[in-house]
Amino acid sequence: MIALVRAELLKLSTTRLWWVMLLSTLLLIGVNLAFFIGFAGNAQGGLPALDTPEWAQLAWSAGASGRIFVMILGVVMITSEYRYQTITGTFLTTPRRGRVITAKLVAGLIVGLLFALAVLLFTALVVIPTVLFAGGEVSLTEARVPAIALGTVASLALYTILGIAVGALVRNQIAGIVGAVAWAYVIESIFLAIPALQVVGKWFPGGAAQSLMSIDVTPGARSDLLPAWGGAAVLVGYAVVFAIIANATTVRRDIT
Amino acid sequence: MTAIEIRNLSKSFGAVRAVDGVSFTVKAGTVTGYLGPNGAGKTTTLRSLLGLVTPDSGEALVNGKRYRDMATPLNEVGAVLEATNFHPGRTAHNHLRLLCVAAGLPVARAEEALGQVGLAEAAGKRVGGFSLGMRQRLALASALLGEPKVYILDEPANGLDPAGIQWLRGFLRHLAHDRGAAVLVSSHVLSEVEQTVDDIVIIAAGRLVRQGTLAELTTNGEKTVRVRTTGDGELAPALEKAGATVERLDGGALRVHGLEPEEIGRIVLDQRVVLTEMIAERSDLQKVFLELTEER
Ligand SMILES: Nc1ncnc2c1ncn2[C@@H]1O[C@H](COP(=O)(O)OP(=O)(O)OP(=O)(O)O)[C@@H](O)[C@H]1O
Ligand SMILES: [Mg+2]
Repeated sequence: MIALVRAELLKLSTTRLWWVMLLSTLLLIGVNLAFFIGFAGNAQGGLPALDTPEWAQLAWSAGASGRIFVMILGVVMITSEYRYQTITGTFLTTPRRGRVITAKLVAGLIVGLLFALAVLLFTALVVIPTVLFAGGEVSLTEARVPAIALGTVASLALYTILGIAVGALVRNQIAGIVGAVAWAYVIESIFLAIPALQVVGKWFPGGAAQSLMSIDVTPGARSDLLPAWGGAAVLVGYAVVFAIIANATTVRRDIT
Repeated sequence: MTAIEIRNLSKSFGAVRAVDGVSFTVKAGTVTGYLGPNGAGKTTTLRSLLGLVTPDSGEALVNGKRYRDMATPLNEVGAVLEATNFHPGRTAHNHLRLLCVAAGLPVARAEEALGQVGLAEAAGKRVGGFSLGMRQRLALASALLGEPKVYILDEPANGLDPAGIQWLRGFLRHLAHDRGAAVLVSSHVLSEVEQTVDDIVIIAAGRLVRQGTLAELTTNGEKTVRVRTTGDGELAPALEKAGATVERLDGGALRVHGLEPEEIGRIVLDQRVVLTEMIAERSDLQKVFLELTEER
């Protein structure tokens, strides 16, 4: 199994996809941070001032927005094998297909962790100088920074494997990516924005990821989310259930 | 020794019976040609052997095992399927390297295999820029990684230039005859494998049509002799009198059925005509193939 996981990591490192995705992730987070900095302390924008702990919380949690990209990365990790038919060689080398899917999930977990570390490093490089420059105090142990960092790591890692499981289920690259983006930006936004629907929305992956971050920027929203551990369990649950369904259905299909 | 065994294999795709009760075996140390026109079911048979397609019924075994039950399949079977099984952005060497890692083979095998198929120079190039022939060679390299004793190749000559085809023929014969491997190679062009194979299995519309050694299949065909003389038509009646059937070809030549060249020579001498051409025609294998596959 270790060999298979190494092979999966090699598949990623020998093509360009991973750094395109990493750049996209950092770009998205950079835009978010620029927005937070630009509108900090702005009365109309409703954002706290740069030197407040509230702003630090907000800025540190920007990294979680990268989850859409690691999810796409996860989808592509498996659908590109069908697209380029490398799945043939993969299954010829490892005919027990469940082992391939498991190795991909483990590799995805590792990649998600590495992405989270890169994201946190990038955030630190932007946030720390900004706060110091604004005359605030930098503390990596207060303002819930450790909890937020942990939440970022967990949500990116779990979203990568969620993407892999979704990819295994749909097999088609375009369908997988469009489905993931539409779900995250359209369906979940609706459920998480409308209070009456939040009862359902908190059980969605996006709601679970929000609970992992559990920051108190908008007091009151809290009670509508799951506890952080519950959010993690929900995300793992989705990934595992999707992977099991995929394993019993699409992964078994004839490769012709 | 039987290396590949296919027993009563059937597989349908919807209403299409792609493979319909096919049985045959491939012995170690031989090259077996698996022939059939387009859509005959060759690819489906080979993919069933490799565990990529699940047959509806019957068995497809390599070394007495189902492919899916093999612990280290790359060490037992080398497979070449379509030439498109590569990620265009990955280099040839990296493609082989990750197969080695997944299969637990030493990574040095990647370079060795690339050298064996004449791709050493292109090792660091992205596969996206490869020609069809180079892809075929790379596919063959991946089949060689585990140094298996059984090779299953689906139309491996596709996209190769004449020199490449020549090289492939030699290479397959070397694998079978010098290294004792069992080689099963499919094609829809008989002439492509005619010079390579020891045994032939012919399939059409999913059903086995004929199997045997190359010699068995070709001697079934009829021998004919083509003659051309300066005479003005005295020869044909004389040949017919001797029991031959004579076909009059364009340009005055005759195709003689049913007489040996020596008998024809004697009749030509008796008739006192000048012989300008005499060719013993071996039964055309391609014709045999067409007849066998067209009658269904
Ligand atoms: N995935 C599939 N879905 C539906 N029909 C299929 C599928 N794969 C093969 N077939 C059908 O099964 C039959 C046999 O196809 P197969 O690819 O095995 O033939 P082949 O002998 O390899 O042909 P060719 O020389 O063109 O490669 C054909 O009628 C084909 O259309
Ligand atoms: Mg075919």
